[in-house]
Amino acid sequence: MVENRFYLTVLTHAVLITGVFFLCFPVWMALVASTHPASALSSTPIPLWFGDQGWENYSQLLSGGLPEAGGVPVGQMMLNSGLMALGITFGKIAVSVLAAYAIVYFRFPFRMVFFWLIFLTLMLPVEVRILPTYDVITKLGMLNSYQGLIIPLIASATATFLFRQFFMTIPDELVEAARIDRAGPLRFFWDILLPLSRTNIAALFIILFIYGWNQYLWPLIITSDESLYTVVMGIQRMVNSGEQLPVWHYIMGTAVLAMVPPVIVVVAMQKLFVKGLVESEK
Amino acid sequence: MAQVEIRNLGKVYPGKVRAVSGASADIADGEFIVLVGPSGCGKSTILRMIAGLEEVSEGDLFIGGDRVNDLEPGERDIAMVFQNYALYPHMTVRRNMEYGLRNEGLPKDQIAARIAEAARTLRLEEYLDRKPRQLSGGQRQRVAMGRAIVREPKAFLFDEPLSNLDAKLRTQLRAELRALHVRLGATFIYVTHDQVEAMSLADRIIVMNAGQIEQIGAPLELYQKPATRFVAEFIGTPAMNFVEARPVTAGLKIDLPEGASLPGPCAMVDQLAAPAHIGFRPEDLVLEPQDGAAGLRLDLQVMFAEQLGADTVIHARLAGQSDPVTIRVESAQNPAPGATMTAYAPNAALHVFDAATGQRL
Ligand SMILES: Nc1ncnc2c1ncn2[C@@H]1O[C@H](COP(=O)(O)OP(=O)(O)O)[C@@H](O)[C@H]1O
Ligand SMILES: [Mg+2]
Repeated sequence: MVENRFYLTVLTHAVLITGVFFLCFPVWMALVASTHPASALSSTPIPLWFGDQGWENYSQLLSGGLPEAGGVPVGQMMLNSGLMALGITFGKIAVSVLAAYAIVYFRFPFRMVFFWLIFLTLMLPVEVRILPTYDVITKLGMLNSYQGLIIPLIASATATFLFRQFFMTIPDELVEAARIDRAGPLRFFWDILLPLSRTNIAALFIILFIYGWNQYLWPLIITSDESLYTVVMGIQRMVNSGEQLPVWHYIMGTAVLAMVPPVIVVVAMQKLFVKGLVESEK
Repeated sequence: MAQVEIRNLGKVYPGKVRAVSGASADIADGEFIVLVGPSGCGKSTILRMIAGLEEVSEGDLFIGGDRVNDLEPGERDIAMVFQNYALYPHMTVRRNMEYGLRNEGLPKDQIAARIAEAARTLRLEEYLDRKPRQLSGGQRQRVAMGRAIVREPKAFLFDEPLSNLDAKLRTQLRAELRALHVRLGATFIYVTHDQVEAMSLADRIIVMNAGQIEQIGAPLELYQKPATRFVAEFIGTPAMNFVEARPVTAGLKIDLPEGASLPGPCAMVDQLAAPAHIGFRPEDLVLEPQDGAAGLRLDLQVMFAEQLGADTVIHARLAGQSDPVTIRVESAQNPAPGATMTAYAPNAALHVFDAATGQRL
């Protein structure tokens, strides 16, 4: 038995390590490639260790405009991505927490109809409704604006549904105790419901931020003004920059930079997130 | 502090589920009243209507003389303690107790004074900065009581506050509740399904059955003169025994189950005109016939005996009926299963109820 265990342990670890390798290798390659001059990457063998161009490449990316990316500094693109991702995240959380609050705690006509309508939109991701949405945004004059980037992506059936499920686990007696304690609907929401949802909000924040940050199709069709380009779009443009050879060192550098904010968000929120999983406060 | 009056209170839940009908009671200022009854009989529904958590479907509700049917719970000036504590999990004990007062807009120093006072009364001083999850069940329920006390309400409402606690803690908190009531002199309305709890706490008990009030009275009154068969059976442990009596020719001959007989005259039973249930408490049965009080004679076969220490409960069978008879005797007795024995219920210990209506005759 003990021996069997040993081989099993070796085997499982071997599988896991292989998996980690396959996951990490592209990231490693991107990191390495971003520190070489362009010439090093278009000739074999491709370097597997850091070059000496890291500093130049990154400072060029962050400050100077690259003709391949439409002359927009990556810093500007990251700022755009960040604003869009944060706008979507905060918007989605605010709207869905309020919608769930209404659906769970208030009796109004057609309550369940509204719930199912929201639920149905789960089946309509951005890509499916992209043409009508584009039409609406055009008529509202929101092309080439942050509002245009953010607002259409805010409505969220998923988050509404998650908050609804969470609110339904909150015991009725808590609501009743608050009513007896003279907490009106708004007080109850602020003083009790929101604090109790803290860890749910943190988890959703991570997921939604990454969702927002990685948006590609919608920003692509809604923006033609280069100063509004997002970093995901920027990478795509650099890859397809026409006749010349792709500027792999810049592309990889941009990809590395694009990974940083999501990583920061995950690391920063992780504590709350895990805390929420470990200690149940209900 | 105030009296509470319910008049013809009725409740129909959505879906036409009738939970309570025609409930009337006057609860005096400072009284400790306990609503007791089996699970599902509508006790919580009445309490929740008083609290304002359920709409009143029928009848009127007065607190301190004012009709409060249409007031929000927060406007009724009542406080409630729930079975599962219902503390705000993210707030400290202090914040939990403060919350209602802050919403009322009470000045900070007054809030602090009331919290300090309540914490002292309930021995919660060291726990004020803890979160509810860091407390035991008994401590949590004390916090919930503290949250009620600091409000200084007109009436305290309790919905089975001790049911989640273990037996020992329950006894302890029961004593604390009683002491608290004496100390505050406030009106307490308390719901429980446990008749022992009801007997030990109440000034007066309201016994409920199937959405209706069966009887209202002091604990001893209910024990000694139950108004219905239901109350007779519900109050007292072990429960009251019954034998069926049917008049064969009205007022002349009474038919009793085999093994039961009336050796002498017994006015209550002899004059029966309709079938009735004769009840007698296990503790009222004696093993020797009493002079001058003929009563009911029972020839029994012992099934088994429970020796509880202070006394012994004998479960025995009467030949003519399926329901066993229980007898409570001193602990020295320990009859063997299968043995025959004779027990007597003196006339004065008999309770007679109409078989059709369940009313006391
Ligand atoms: N919200 C509700 N909707 C429908 N029926 C209910 C509701 N609450 C309680 N009831 C019903 O009303 C009756 C009395 O309930 P309740 O007052 O909670 O009884 P208890 O005496 O155990 O506290 C029960 O039959 C219960 O099923
Ligand atoms: Mg109940």
